[in-house]
Amino acid sequence: MITINYFGNIAEAAQSDSETLEQTSMSLAELLDLLDSKYAIGKFPFQVAVNRKIVSKQQALNISDSDEVALLPPFAGG
Amino acid sequence: MKKVFLEGAISSEFIAESIAKHQSKHSIGAHNIFLGQVRADEVGDQKVVAIEYTAYEEMANEKLHEIRESAFEKFDLTCLHIYHSLGKVEVGEICIFVFVSSKRRKQVYEATEYLVNRVKEEVPIFGKEIFDNADHQWKVNS
Repeated sequence: MITINYFGNIAEAAQSDSETLEQTSMSLAELLDLLDSKYAIGKFPFQVAVNRKIVSKQQALNISDSDEVALLPPFAGG
Repeated sequence: MKKVFLEGAISSEFIAESIAKHQSKHSIGAHNIFLGQVRADEVGDQKVVAIEYTAYEEMANEKLHEIRESAFEKFDLTCLHIYHSLGKVEVGEICIFVFVSSKRRKQVYEATEYLVNRVKEEVPIFGKEIFDNADHQWKVNS
């Protein structure tokens, strides 16, 4: 299972802070397409973190079982 | 890993106590403190009354650890502390407290600026600005 964490306005759009997907392997591009079809995340500015490290959305990356993905809207600390 | 996140506003008592704890460290000759306070921004005809903070805590803690390490490498510091609120912080209350100590004065100014900038830019903290009509918007650091 792949875990996805949502924050800020994306958590509002997904109506959840996190979910797990049945899939055990997919590309980052496929994952983002899937999430866009579910929650229209394309309209928000966000960065992606895989296993708590920021990655480029365009990176050819395979997401597999037990990976932790997070969609991070602009930071607002301080 | 050092504890950074505190629930709710950072109180004056907490800040005073942090200062007092350093009185036994006699190699220190200079402290510098940055305090961030929630501002009543006006957006259209709405006014911000509070910010509700959330964070991706696991990643934030890793990032904060990295920022601390790099500040110790870059500057000659005796110690440094970073605290940030989670949950609701009302206008006028403190939401971030950065406390840097060194033998001498020069390093602490630069180090404080460096730390606050990196926290704002790189740590996954999110802020929901709550308006006086209970509506909200998501804060973006400028």
